[in-house]
Amino acid sequence: MVCGESLYPPKQLLTFFCQQLQAKLYLSIIDDVIDSMRELFLDEGLEDRVLDDLRHLWESKMMQSKAMEDFRQNNINSSNFVLQLPASYNQSDQELTGDPILLETYRLTSKTSSFFTLATFSLPAALAYPVQIPAGVTLQTASGQLYKVNVPVVVTQAPAGQQPVSHPTQKVTERREAPASHPAAVQPHPILPHEVEPSSLPASSVTQPKTSLAPSQESCLPQLSPEPEGTLAETELSPQPEPVNLSMTQLVPLQLQLSERCHGLTVNFLLAFPAKLDLDYSYSVLSDIVQLDGPADNSDLEEGDGVPLEENDFLGIINAEAIKALQEGNGSSDGNSISSSSDSEGADDLADVEEEDPLNSGDDVIEQDIPDLFDTDNVIVCQYDKIHRSKNRWKFHLKDGVMCYRGRDYVFSKAVGEAEW
Amino acid sequence: MDSSDEALDIIVTNVVATFRTRCHLNLRTIALEGTNVIYKPEVGKVLMKLRKPKITASIWSSGKIICTGATSEDEAKLGARRLARCLQKLGFKVRFSAFRVVNVLAVCSMPFGVHLIDFTKNNRPIASYEPELHPAATYRIKHLKATIQVFSTGSITVTGPNVQNVATAVEQVYPLLFECQKPLCK
Repeated sequence: MVCGESLYPPKQLLTFFCQQLQAKLYLSIIDDVIDSMRELFLDEGLEDRVLDDLRHLWESKMMQSKAMEDFRQNNINSSNFVLQLPASYNQSDQELTGDPILLETYRLTSKTSSFFTLATFSLPAALAYPVQIPAGVTLQTASGQLYKVNVPVVVTQAPAGQQPVSHPTQKVTERREAPASHPAAVQPHPILPHEVEPSSLPASSVTQPKTSLAPSQESCLPQLSPEPEGTLAETELSPQPEPVNLSMTQLVPLQLQLSERCHGLTVNFLLAFPAKLDLDYSYSVLSDIVQLDGPADNSDLEEGDGVPLEENDFLGIINAEAIKALQEGNGSSDGNSISSSSDSEGADDLADVEEEDPLNSGDDVIEQDIPDLFDTDNVIVCQYDKIHRSKNRWKFHLKDGVMCYRGRDYVFSKAVGEAEW
Repeated sequence: MDSSDEALDIIVTNVVATFRTRCHLNLRTIALEGTNVIYKPEVGKVLMKLRKPKITASIWSSGKIICTGATSEDEAKLGARRLARCLQKLGFKVRFSAFRVVNVLAVCSMPFGVHLIDFTKNNRPIASYEPELHPAATYRIKHLKATIQVFSTGSITVTGPNVQNVATAVEQVYPLLFECQKPLCK
């Protein structure tokens, strides 16, 4: 194919994927624990309700502290996506011509069973946009619907807070009927006025396994942004209307706006990767995701992860910041020395340097501990495979752990690191 | 003429010192609660590294501690005391006693190369040279208890019980080296 770029999905997607996995992992841990506790609780005479309360409390705390997407609750802000084809994508271009099969697929408007993709991603609510989605990716929403990306698209985020629930319903429904019959029809749809990224009509058919469109799931439905003149940031769109085959199911908490520049194409958003990836990232930080607190209670997190700290035998607790702290902290703590009290041998300061210890309980000897050594928030709780040191260079081979870094949790089965002391 | 005081830089690279805490030390406690410690249970000691005087100390449960890595005797003493202080804070009744510098390692560079064979021949019993074993000639000064290793490039390393001895040893050996010098090939 054309692409000179790597066939791997861009980093953001991997990140999202991992986050999604991690969220699932944590929730499954919670489930496990709660379930296994159920009997015990009952034996103790506590009501089931108590257990459920505990569970909710736990979940909510966890969700809060990690700013995870929370697809069970509704209050995560829904994001509007705009899916755009990257500028360089050209219908007339190579990738399709070179691949008639793909072309065919593109033309398909109805869902086929070609769901099988190389990659499946979920787009969590807390997504940082815009995101480039290469072709050949399956997007899966939190609720399980699949969107297959045939054509590399850029998902950007319209200003948060848009909740055009009603519109999309209608549009979607009407489009759903449209799909097969209007492959080439132009269906402009009124765009939400406050769309940041105007886009032309998508000729995308998003097909999913489920076809329930009911906005019952609170999140917004994907919408089409109809501005025909879409001047996307990256793409210059041709105003030509594209066939819109849009059968969308709602993405729980997402709103999808499909805009696409392809002419006469219907895009199936489920694919294997062939197309050229246009990787222009304008990756914006998750600034609008409310993060209620930083690292919060490490204790909560660790409980949630089921890794008790007391077992020291096989757990190594490593503090990344401690290393930094150590490096700077040293100079400062000297000199505050100790007129401090601990004075057991104070008496012997006099003569006998040889025999008796003029330790003076620290009058002469300066403290150099760094008080907040383990007070930092970046913690890794894990098991170690191998820890190696050469002079002051340390190498770590870790396994099966959780790292809390800058307030976010990262779960790993293997981690390799290096540090200087 | 051959004044060995002429700007020969003797650089002390390592000072090894020992001291005792006069109390039994629980290595496991130190390993668990101490900062910057490496536990070596197979050997039966704990390494504790200090940053400020860059020092590594081997701590045994008997209370004997060996401090290495300092660049001067004073630094070694300071580091040792700091270390004892650390142990004291961990809860042990540490008394700083029997501090003594065991070994000082220094390097020095002659402005000329040395012909090792000649040097060894001239100083027969005191100097020994086995090129198959080690590329340097070894010169031991008994009364100073110092050992000097001479390389053909003119660099020498000196080890002795204290800094003063080391300096004296360099001064003593300088004229001998001067005799057997060879121009360094550049």
